[in-house]
Amino acid sequence: MAVSPLNQIRRGLRQLPSWEDITWTWKPRSEREAGDAVVRNFLLHWFPSKITRRAMESSYSLWLGTISAVLFLILTLTGVVLMFLYVPSVERAYGSIKDLEYAISYGRFLRATHRIAAHLMVAVVFLHMMRVFLTGAFKNGVLARQNRPLNWWIGMVMLLATLLLSFTGYLLPWDQLAYWAITVGTNIARAVPLIGDGIRFFLLGGHEINQNTLIRFYVLHCIFLPLGLGALFVWHMWRIHKDGGLACHDRVALDQKAAPAPPASTKTYTLLGITAGRTAHVETALIDEERHLVNAAPLLLRRLLVVILLTFLVSAALAMLVGAPLEAPANPDVTPNPAKAPWYFLWLQELVTITTIRIGGWTLNGAFVGGVLIPGLLLLWGLAVPWLDASGPTAVGTWFPPSRRRANTIFLIVCLALILLTIIGTFMRGPYWQFYWPWERWPAAPPRF
Amino acid sequence: MFSRDRTLVWLAGFLGVVVCAFAVWQEMNPGYRRYQREFRRLIEERFGPERAALTPAGVQQIWIRSANRVDRCTSCHLGVTWEGLENADLPYRTHSKKPLEHHPIERFGCTYCHGGQGYATKLPDAHGWVKDWEEPLLDTTLAKDYRVREKWAFVEMNCNVCHRFEREIDGAGIVNLGKKLIREKGCRACHIINGRGGTIGPDLTWEGDKNPEQYDYTRITTLPTLLAWQIGHLQSPKSFSPDTVMPDFGFKSHEAMAIALVLMSWRKVDIPVDLLPGVVRKDVPTPEELERERTMREGEGKFFVEKTCFICHDVSSLGIVSATKIGPNLALAVEDAPRRFGRTLDSFLMNPTGTMQVVLSKQIQLTDEEKREAIRLLKLAYRKYKEQQSAAENKP
Repeated sequence: MAVSPLNQIRRGLRQLPSWEDITWTWKPRSEREAGDAVVRNFLLHWFPSKITRRAMESSYSLWLGTISAVLFLILTLTGVVLMFLYVPSVERAYGSIKDLEYAISYGRFLRATHRIAAHLMVAVVFLHMMRVFLTGAFKNGVLARQNRPLNWWIGMVMLLATLLLSFTGYLLPWDQLAYWAITVGTNIARAVPLIGDGIRFFLLGGHEINQNTLIRFYVLHCIFLPLGLGALFVWHMWRIHKDGGLACHDRVALDQKAAPAPPASTKTYTLLGITAGRTAHVETALIDEERHLVNAAPLLLRRLLVVILLTFLVSAALAMLVGAPLEAPANPDVTPNPAKAPWYFLWLQELVTITTIRIGGWTLNGAFVGGVLIPGLLLLWGLAVPWLDASGPTAVGTWFPPSRRRANTIFLIVCLALILLTIIGTFMRGPYWQFYWPWERWPAAPPRF
Repeated sequence: MFSRDRTLVWLAGFLGVVVCAFAVWQEMNPGYRRYQREFRRLIEERFGPERAALTPAGVQQIWIRSANRVDRCTSCHLGVTWEGLENADLPYRTHSKKPLEHHPIERFGCTYCHGGQGYATKLPDAHGWVKDWEEPLLDTTLAKDYRVREKWAFVEMNCNVCHRFEREIDGAGIVNLGKKLIREKGCRACHIINGRGGTIGPDLTWEGDKNPEQYDYTRITTLPTLLAWQIGHLQSPKSFSPDTVMPDFGFKSHEAMAIALVLMSWRKVDIPVDLLPGVVRKDVPTPEELERERTMREGEGKFFVEKTCFICHDVSSLGIVSATKIGPNLALAVEDAPRRFGRTLDSFLMNPTGTMQVVLSKQIQLTDEEKREAIRLLKLAYRKYKEQQSAAENKP
């Protein structure tokens, strides 16, 4: 019997992968299906199929790393669209941003979301670093072949890349805010001994902020830094895998060891059994699955969806409410008063002010001390953190462990000082860098008419 | 522990949709839409539905390609080029004919003359009444604020941005008055303007671009603006900067306003050449002006300019002209000194009394050497004066 063409098509269609084949099983009916859901799906294969309850609790991680990644995703998506609309030339840059604001459909919303998400990302990445330090998550725990200090380093580089991404993006609108923030920022870099002028020349592509600087910052902002950060992100996530998940995993394993546990969960092999009194423990499953682990699909995925949606919601709502500023076109002849660096560098600018001390004819060079020396030492300290830590594995993956009280206190004081300096620099410094309380009005710069 | 997640997904998803819906709603209802609807109704009332169908919709803009400039004002000011809306309300009114003869809107746009923010499509933004936009709309309320008789005084000021080298601009009365005063009062004796002039005062060529922040506004009781400072300073220089040698010319407030508007118009604005056909693009002085300036700066009497005596005194026989004429003509000093003070010129200059004692001890400090030079020159001036007198008498 001849097969009708319609039936042929039907048969062919049946052979195509089904929707379930290309997506994950949202409602797994068995443990097997739950595990397969993660393993079979390309997008999900980097998740573990099982995850500890502790790692899922927002009180442990605050989801800060995830939020950073989601913000990076939002920034990439909005940024790619913005690349179609923005012209990186001194003549057109400002005008193209004005066009976004007034003439392009959803341009204002797009730009505001990109800007707000960028600010949020700087803040959230910094908070994520604080969380990792305070929970001792940069330390190796009890599992084999861990190298968390390496991941801490990767994270530090990612923090710097985030700052640079935001800084390079700051110049692109080519307005007064952009021009003078980059002036202040690159002048701080100039205070580096011997090579300071060279660094500034390299950053600006010349001796002044001009088309060379704009195209340099644009290429860094749109290509090199995002690709670099993306690669580091992949490495960061892979290392978490290799390190056995979030640091609280180790904690759960330790707690379980201390408590009497059913023996079945740990398999002990005796090697040859000749050497008296010595056995090699190969702990294949450190954590009692029944008690501590849950399926990643759908529980982790659903929670991830919550984080993605909330991050998008907050960025979009803030973009609506706050918008993105755009000042007068860049004018090298008129310095705004006060001229400020981007907010996340204002602690630096504030440090520069504080450490510029004049006693008689003698001047302490604040640009060097506050702008180079202190942040340089902070960075070195940050990199050395894993080696300065002497606490044991019990301090891994738990908030404020008693054995790390001193380290945590010093770290918190430094972070709060940075945050305080940033707040002072942002909200309490008026014309001529004079101090003003938040409720005091700054003397307004007079208009022309 | 996971029971809330489902609710949260729904809640966050719903709120996300709300935010997006709000964004869409904003996008669908731009501020200019209302004006475009009203304009259509107006045209329908006056000219019928056929012409109403021709009214534009969406963002309207005039793109001046060579200037890399765009004016979107016509998104709301829809009637500017329509005939028969001369008596309509703003923003639908027809633009007056005369200025457009040489400045067609489609070539020049709006903001070159009127100020404001051409990019913007919202009312306060477009009129420049927002933070971070420094070019306000130069409308008639501004003239009211400054109590100028000429309704369009501020737009006339903008004429002078492009037409700064012209002696007179057709239809720009107050600016023409300012230009005339600047020529007559000899501002160039102390100030460089367009590359020519003295260096006693600051260069005024780009006066309109100076940062408003560099002036002291404590003396201004009304509006603390750069323009108000300029007007006040022109009328009473000493009360604004006590150490200045700039004299009080006794300008009436209208005259000070006129000069201040010209000063404010001296700005750097990129104007492409194709927009400037027939516009004078260079400051060309008349031979008489050149000769007068040369005499002042390089002639025999240049001493009196360098030492700022000329601010109050003419030295007529040496070609030194004072803008204020506060003091007597020094060409006659040789006979004036004995008549006024009962002393010879030599003895008076060496030991002055009265006003000149104050001036010569504070504002103009001369060494004995310089005083002797002054006496020599004044005697020369007197001799020349006499010669000129007799020459004039001997003329038939």
